Parts: sequence; C-alpha cells; structure tokens
Amino acid sequence: MIRLYHIDKRYGDHQALKDVNLHVAKGEFVYVTGPSGAGKSTLLRMLYGALKPTGGKLLVGGVDASKLPPKRLPFLRRNIGVVFQDFKLIPNRSVADNVGLALEVLGTPRAEIDRRSRAVLNVVGLAGKEERMPQDLSGGEQQRVAVARAIVNDPAVLLADEPTGNLDGAMAIEVMEILMSINLRGTTILVATHDAGLMKRFPQRTLRFEAGRLVSGQ
Amino acid sequence: MIQHILRRTMRSLKENFSLNLVATGVIGATVLLAGVYLSALQTLDRVVESWDRDAHVSAYFQPEIEVELRFATKDQIGARQEVASVSYVSEEDAAAYLSERVEEVGPILEELGPEVLPSSLEITLEQGHATPAEIQAFVDSIDGPPFEHVDYGQDWVQRFHTFLTLLRGLGLVLGVLISFAAIFLVGNTMHLVAYARRAELETMKLVGATWGFTALPFALEGCVQGLIGGGMGLIGVFALHQVLVARLEDALALALAGAELSFLGAGWALLLLGASVLLGVCGCLWSVTRFWRKAP
Repeated sequence: MIRLYHIDKRYGDHQALKDVNLHVAKGEFVYVTGPSGAGKSTLLRMLYGALKPTGGKLLVGGVDASKLPPKRLPFLRRNIGVVFQDFKLIPNRSVADNVGLALEVLGTPRAEIDRRSRAVLNVVGLAGKEERMPQDLSGGEQQRVAVARAIVNDPAVLLADEPTGNLDGAMAIEVMEILMSINLRGTTILVATHDAGLMKRFPQRTLRFEAGRLVSGQ
Repeated sequence: MIQHILRRTMRSLKENFSLNLVATGVIGATVLLAGVYLSALQTLDRVVESWDRDAHVSAYFQPEIEVELRFATKDQIGARQEVASVSYVSEEDAAAYLSERVEEVGPILEELGPEVLPSSLEITLEQGHATPAEIQAFVDSIDGPPFEHVDYGQDWVQRFHTFLTLLRGLGLVLGVLISFAAIFLVGNTMHLVAYARRAELETMKLVGATWGFTALPFALEGCVQGLIGGGMGLIGVFALHQVLVARLEDALALALAGAELSFLGAGWALLLLGASVLLGVCGCLWSVTRFWRKAP
C-alpha cells in the first residue's frame, strides 16, 4: 500500500529525512515513533502530499506521490484519511457538517451524506451529537469527530499525526480503540506518536525514526 | 455538486454579510466613477459632433463695403454647391443679437452706436463638405475683400479636439488605475472572507476538494457582488444625471451647443455591469487562489 525508496527531505541545511526505505502492506497498523524532530510528521505530510521529497520515490496506493502534479493531489487525498493532533474541525459547522465535508467535495448527494455521516458517527460513539458544534464537545469527542471525517469516505489509508497528543489517558485509549476497530475493517493505518504507554497497550509494528533516519521497524 | 456549491455560496453570503457589503460598495463606487466619466465624455463628443455637423462660417465685411455689394456677395456665395444656406447679418442685427445674449452690453452698444459691430454673412456648409480640410479650403476661397475677416472658430475647435483626446487618454489611464485599485480592494476584502473561512478552506483541501470546487462559490459571491454593486453604481449615475439635467441643463445650454447632457446608453450600461461582474469574480478568485496556494 505504501512504498518508500531512498526518500530524502531537506529544509535548507536541515536534513529532515535521510535515505528512508519502507514498505507498509495493505491492512497493516503501523506506529511511527521517535523523538521530536525525528521526521515523523514530515513522513506523514509527504504521504498525504503536503510535502514533496527532495529525493527518492514514494508510492501510495500505487500512485507516485513524489511526482504528483498539484492538479492530481485532490484525487490522492480522497483515498487518504488524515487525523491531526489539533483536530482541524471547522468551528462554525455542526458535527455532521464537519464529517460530511469529505463527502461533499466528492459531490455526494445530501441524503447520502447525512446517512453515511450518521453511520460513521455511530461507529465512533457519537450518535445523537450530529447537530452539536465542535466547541461544545470534549477533546476526546472532537478527536472522534476528526476520525469520523477521516473515514467517512472509506479511504484505503488512514494517517494520524499524534492523534492522542491533546487527550488525557482515558480519552486517548478510546480513540486508539476506534482506530484499531477501523483497522480491523481493512484500512491501512499509520499513527505518528511518541506515547510509549499506548504503543505498549496496543502493540503493533513500530517504525522508529532518529534524526531523520529510520532506525528500526523496516 | 451544483447543489453543494450553491449552498456554500448562500451560506458565505449570509455569514460574511458585512464584508460582502464592503466589496459591493467598492464595486458600486468604481462603476459610479466610470459611469460619470463616460457620460461626460459622451456629452462632450456630442457637442463636438454637433459642431462638426453644423459647419458654420462667419465672414465679416469690411466697414466701407456698400450694402448692394454685400447682398451681391451673399447671392454669389449662396449659389456655390458646398453652401447649404447663407444669411446676411447687418450691424443692427449683430448688436441686437449681442444685447439679447449679454444684457450688460446693451447700454454700451446704444452709446457707441450699432455700427461698432461689423455686418457679416453667416454661412452653413452642406454636411458632405464639412470636414476640417474642406471647411478650411472654403474659408481660403472667400478670404479677402470684401471681407475683413473669415472665421469658423478653427483654433478653438482644434484645441477642443486636442483637449478631448487628452481627456480620453487621461480617462483611460485613470480607468486602468481605478480598475486595478478596485480589483485590489475587492480582492483584499474577499481575502478577509477567505481568512475568516481559512479553517474550512484548509480542511477542504486536505479532504480532497479541487480548486474549482473550492473557488466556484467564491466566484459566485463575486458575481453577486458585481451585479449588485454594478447595478447600484448605474442607478447612482442615472440619479446624478437626472439631478444635473434638472438643475444645470438650462445653464449649460449655450456651452453644450444644443447637445443634451448624456446618460450612458444601454450598451455602455451593460458593458459596465459586465465589467463590474468581472471585477467581482476576478477579485474573489484572486483572493481564494492566494489562500489556496498557502494551504498544505
């Protein structure tokens, strides 16, 4: 599902990623971990096309994301769900509208958006909160809305950048359980985290980065 | 898809009402300025056109020329094929005409006697012989005795033509500058709208929205702003025209030489409305594109 060949990423003089080679199979759940500045977020941003590598080749679902022209980027992103540490919810839109946005951009009919949004909110345990505004929800609930938005269009890959970073222990576990259940349905998941406790509680393949190099987990 | 785009447009118009109002006002003011300028230019064009159409030559007799010779000269000139009409204006007629137009000179003329003004022939040329070169050729052919001076206001007309050319050039430069300023203002106002919706724009890009899907509601907003702003501007030009016609047309009658104060024709009004829609759309697309490029 994801293949990286000799990926380099440079920001001026700073080398964020160095010669990274990687293969993540379809349906895998993978942690991306390492200290701050190790290159975890850079890797994830490359996978959803927000950054281009300085060198090497990067394939996501068979698409060469390293050479993708800007016009093709939306079509890559429609196959990738992304969850952020800061949720990135639209504050003046209801929970249902936030979740439905990923379907709206595909031109899905309104009734279908409503049906699928409700279904996916049910999966993340937020049934009945469709009309609430994000700021009326707890941090854990907001992150679950973000997860619901990321999976509402059944993407092949789900990327989560520190999804539990802003949550307390119980809420973090809830979100991780949801990610695990999504993975069981066949979605490939990459989670960038440095929360050793969670990785121990939900053990999965772990890619460890240090100073831009992939040091273990290949 | 269209349903989503319309829904987003309506929502944005409602949620960003005051910013949209500012952009609409800027477009309205731009159209008002352009409309007033074009109306003034049209009026001046008509004045010049009427002068060109009524090619008119005044030939002033030498004072010592006998009345019989004056009438003989009149008949001779009247017989020429390029002359549409010719009339004799005696010293008394000239004095009466001037007294009628400028009341203050009446007593002075009475004091000095009517012969202070020369008698003349007022000659109107056929329209087919009214080019500046043909008028000049005609004037050259009659210049000299028994006339002291032959005049068709050529210097003044030429200066006015030059002035009009300058005015057109200046208007064009100002028009371009005002258009750029308006695009900049509308663009920046819309940038504020885009900024207010930055979370939504960023999220839309992240979930796979195309530029077209994101930009189209903004373009429609710009279209609405252009239509309303342009319409308001045109109503403003029309209202100003009505006020000027009511209050100034009599006062300007002499200066306008019979031409009317013009309001933009339907063609110009439609062109301005189209330009204001284009202005709104371009301003909006410019702002959303700037923002789109910065989003991850």
